[in-house]
Amino acid sequence: MKFLDKPFGYERVLTKEDLQQVTKKKKGPRANDWKSTLVRIWKIVDEQRFLLVMVLVMVVISSALALVGPFLIGQMIDNYIVPGDFDGMLLMIGLLIAIYVVLALSLYLQNYWMIGIAQQTIYRMRVGVFNKLLHLPISFFDKRQHGELMSRATNDIETVSATLNSAFIQVFSSVLTLTGTVIVMLYLSPLLTFLTMIIIPAMFIAMRFITRRTGKLFKEQQAAVGALNGMIEETISGQRIVKAFSQEERVKEEFREKSARLRLVGFWALAYSGYIPKVMNALNNVSFAIVAAVGGLLALNGQASIGVIVIFTEYARQFTRPLNDLANQFNTVLSAIAGAERVFAIMDEANEVETGHIEKDRQLNGAVAFQNVSFKYEQTEAEHTLNNVSFSVQPGQTAALVGATGAGKTTIMQLISRFYDTNEGAVLFDGIDVRDFTREALRSQMAFVLQEPFLFEATVYENIRYGRLDATDEEIEEAARKANAHDFIMKLPQGYNTLLTADGSEISQGQKQLLSIARAFVADPVILLLDEATSSIDTVTEMKIQEALEVLMEGRTSFVIAHRLNTIRNADVVFVMQQGELVESGSQEELIAKNGVYASMVG
Amino acid sequence: MKTVFSYVKPYKWPAIIALILMLIELFVELAQPLIMAKIVDNGIIAQDGQAIWYWGLVMFGLSVLALTVGIINSYFASHAAQSFSYDLRNALFSKIQSFTMATYLRFPTSSLITRLTSDITQVQNVFFMSLRIMLRAPLAVIGSMVMAFIVNAKLALFLMIGAPILVIFLAIMVKRGVTYFSEVQGRLDRVNRVLQESLQAMRLVKAYMRGQYEASRFNGVAEALKIDTVKALRTMELIMPVLLLVMNLSLLAVLWFGAYEVNNNDTQIGDLIAIVNYAMRMTGAFSMFAFIIIAFARAKASAERMEEILIIEDGLEIRTRQAEEFTEAELGTVYFDNVSFAYNGELNVLHNVSFDVRQGEKLAIMGATGAGKSTLLNLIPRFYETTSGRVFVNGRDVKEWDLDDLRAMIGFVPQQSLLFTGSILENVGWGKTDANLTEVEAAATKAQIHESVESFPKAYETRVGQKGVNLSGGQKQRLSIARALIRKSQILILDDSTSALDVKTEAALWDALEEERATMLVVTQKIRTARGADRILLLDAGRVVGFGSHDELLQTSELYKKIAQSQQEQGDEL
Repeated sequence: MKFLDKPFGYERVLTKEDLQQVTKKKKGPRANDWKSTLVRIWKIVDEQRFLLVMVLVMVVISSALALVGPFLIGQMIDNYIVPGDFDGMLLMIGLLIAIYVVLALSLYLQNYWMIGIAQQTIYRMRVGVFNKLLHLPISFFDKRQHGELMSRATNDIETVSATLNSAFIQVFSSVLTLTGTVIVMLYLSPLLTFLTMIIIPAMFIAMRFITRRTGKLFKEQQAAVGALNGMIEETISGQRIVKAFSQEERVKEEFREKSARLRLVGFWALAYSGYIPKVMNALNNVSFAIVAAVGGLLALNGQASIGVIVIFTEYARQFTRPLNDLANQFNTVLSAIAGAERVFAIMDEANEVETGHIEKDRQLNGAVAFQNVSFKYEQTEAEHTLNNVSFSVQPGQTAALVGATGAGKTTIMQLISRFYDTNEGAVLFDGIDVRDFTREALRSQMAFVLQEPFLFEATVYENIRYGRLDATDEEIEEAARKANAHDFIMKLPQGYNTLLTADGSEISQGQKQLLSIARAFVADPVILLLDEATSSIDTVTEMKIQEALEVLMEGRTSFVIAHRLNTIRNADVVFVMQQGELVESGSQEELIAKNGVYASMVG
Repeated sequence: MKTVFSYVKPYKWPAIIALILMLIELFVELAQPLIMAKIVDNGIIAQDGQAIWYWGLVMFGLSVLALTVGIINSYFASHAAQSFSYDLRNALFSKIQSFTMATYLRFPTSSLITRLTSDITQVQNVFFMSLRIMLRAPLAVIGSMVMAFIVNAKLALFLMIGAPILVIFLAIMVKRGVTYFSEVQGRLDRVNRVLQESLQAMRLVKAYMRGQYEASRFNGVAEALKIDTVKALRTMELIMPVLLLVMNLSLLAVLWFGAYEVNNNDTQIGDLIAIVNYAMRMTGAFSMFAFIIIAFARAKASAERMEEILIIEDGLEIRTRQAEEFTEAELGTVYFDNVSFAYNGELNVLHNVSFDVRQGEKLAIMGATGAGKSTLLNLIPRFYETTSGRVFVNGRDVKEWDLDDLRAMIGFVPQQSLLFTGSILENVGWGKTDANLTEVEAAATKAQIHESVESFPKAYETRVGQKGVNLSGGQKQRLSIARALIRKSQILILDDSTSALDVKTEAALWDALEEERATMLVVTQKIRTARGADRILLLDAGRVVGFGSHDELLQTSELYKKIAQSQQEQGDEL
């Protein structure tokens, strides 16, 4: 009994409540309803209706030919071989060769087209998820592991892929065979047909019993894969830390735990799904026994001819084969649904709200103002990250944000670029609420150098061109020169055509910053946001690019966060932040004269 | 294939039991038609009610047996398959953990991720299927073939006409399949790569409104994946129709020659019909057979990709060198002896670097962007091995240190403060496996982050998102410093890890670090920090161009003077 309770030491994962929950949860067209999930997949598949119809035609042809072949062989044996009619036989063989060639062709074509349909569907889903990700607000990503999200676009979608390739044809041909068989059975004996059908409710009950378990388990399995993926991505990306702290064993242990969870739910999912064909088989046998027994009785009473009953039992056997196939497919369909549900869950996330109506062609002057802005990242947080901040910056001015770490400087930048929306108060551009602009209109006129520089796996050219996609090579080189990056770029193996990688070591952190400054140079914005743009750059190099930066900032509204006084010396206005509040503002001279917080920082 | 297959061994018995159960089930299934025939012949046709009952009961019993055996089989097969993939996954991950940093550069993260998830799933599925259903198709084919030979060897031989062609055909297809599916998995790597990159760069993507650009980039890799998958599957789908066609044509040949034989009375018509029947059974098993071949090719491709990782012998970290007793006379010292270094045989990043750091000394490392400062620090915990020259820690060559011992002596704060998903407590405690809250708080206090953490609603239980996205740059840096401090190492390495701190916080941090009495190697851009150091190592394009105290360097080094000047001009810091 112990083994039954915990086979091979696998704990049971489904609780009684779990099972009840599934039965109760039936309302709502949410993504976790498997029927609506199927409908959603179907909608994508259905976009290729023409090919789909072609596949169906081919399935009909191949199913028919598969039946005609044996029939003709029977005819040939009876009519030509036994009498020894070789001429007729030659004709038949010719006919059969033609049939078999067409059969092979139709089989190949149905698969050929189906693969196309399936992969196109998968492709659409994958691209759909990715596009969706691009439209989600930044706060969505703050809470999720990259690897977990990646798993949805790969592992989860792969389960759908595996199913679509085969399930559709299988289901359709099974239904076809089933219909044909039932018609013949009805013709032979409606009573016995009815008796054969008795097992269908039993089948449904059995399927419900099993799928109630597997449905949940497959979902758990995909979630476990996602968690594992998240962990792998994070650990391998942070491998340097793992090594520095000799935490390999700990990481392995953590991996084993996540891996064991996957094994556990995977075990139960596989074990339960293994029930399906066996139960179906048993039910088939029951049905056969019923038909044989009742048929036998009928025959004994002379209510049916023996021949009919013999043929009927033969058909009853055929009746169950496609049912079996369907049941087997049902299982893979379930795992696909589990994967698809996770994909659609992303699709159903709320998009970044686009409230704006002011389009791209509206040229900004560059006046930026905060009006009583309060903000916190999480609604649950007790304190605001920004508290009632108000200021205004005139077009072309350079504003410096100073203050201790965590004072809210970067948050101000995030609000200006509208990564987040304010909780209270408003951010204004040229006196217009930021929410009235489309993000495109806003950001197309801004350039950013973010705190952590990022390089794509692409050439130096492409990495800088990210600032403005139509920049010419000359413009890029010019920007790189200004950013003082040209020299080191030329020392790279292929110069500007060197392929950079995100985690490669060929580029130092400071050089990455230089490249992202070049990126901003290329962008040619109205508003420039520099968040610790030069923190990893040595001061001699910084001096060199300072001039260029000043040229860049000229005539543009700029916001600068920096710890080096020089970087902000030319600021027209300085905002001093302290614990989310704007405590001082004014020109440097004014602030020093004031002898307040700023003066004490500088002094 | 072989290495991957060896992971089946521990689950040999569950696998064998599953196979035996499957054979029992198969046997029962084969017996069923016979019993049905009995019911029909002895019962219905003979109108014998008792026989119907008798054989009905036998069939019922067998059905129950098949059901029981089938369900038990599903447990054994599931156990074997899941445990096999569990072990394989863990082995792969362990292997990856033992990579040197140089080896990581050879395999992008995304590719390792695919191998650890998608590739394993492919192999696991095939293994599970082979324990459940796979053998049926080949057995059905072989069984039917044997039966055909028993009935009439001469005619059965005609069934084999196509066999040589088929064998060659299948061999070619499998080989191609492996290549194609391997490409498909490679494409999946790329999809993962672009995904990972876009996720990491999400802020940048949004800032520059490059959604469309990223979308088209992703479109590109997703489409390539689609095209290659379609190519692989379509090629492999040839197998079934071709098998079927060859088999059916062979069948026609049997009929043709069979007809002559029958005509000449060399063969009974019954034999011919029997052989035709067996041939048809074989074709019935073909779609399954083709499916197996495709799955096998795919699994083989995945297994090979995993083996690429498993067989790596070079490029692994060698944890222990010599076990000999070593007296640590020179605690907390670092010594570079004529060290040169290049990444992957490219140009040298460091040239003949020599310097020493004494116990308890604070060494500042300065130099232009790209001068080799971070690279130099990376050689101390042996993330990379020197190209020439030697690095000594505590008087012993780092190559001779046990890696765990070496790294235990070092508190490392990287330039990018990488945090992991989890609580602040977990992140700071990460540096020390058994750290308790008191220790974490103490380290956080020294790193000047304790107060900030206390001000969070959930204090040390605050969740840090991936890579610490919901913290400010300075907070991340200080957490990353706290993580190193908790280890109370003899040597502290800080790679420009205070760049986002304001002057006051930084000053307090340096004061607190003084108390640690650890030897410190600090990369910095700031003269003010350098001035607080005992000695300064000045690098330029990978060469040491100055080594001495602040005052000495002001006298001797033009470059240093220039740096100092640049910062005087720039004024002080905030």
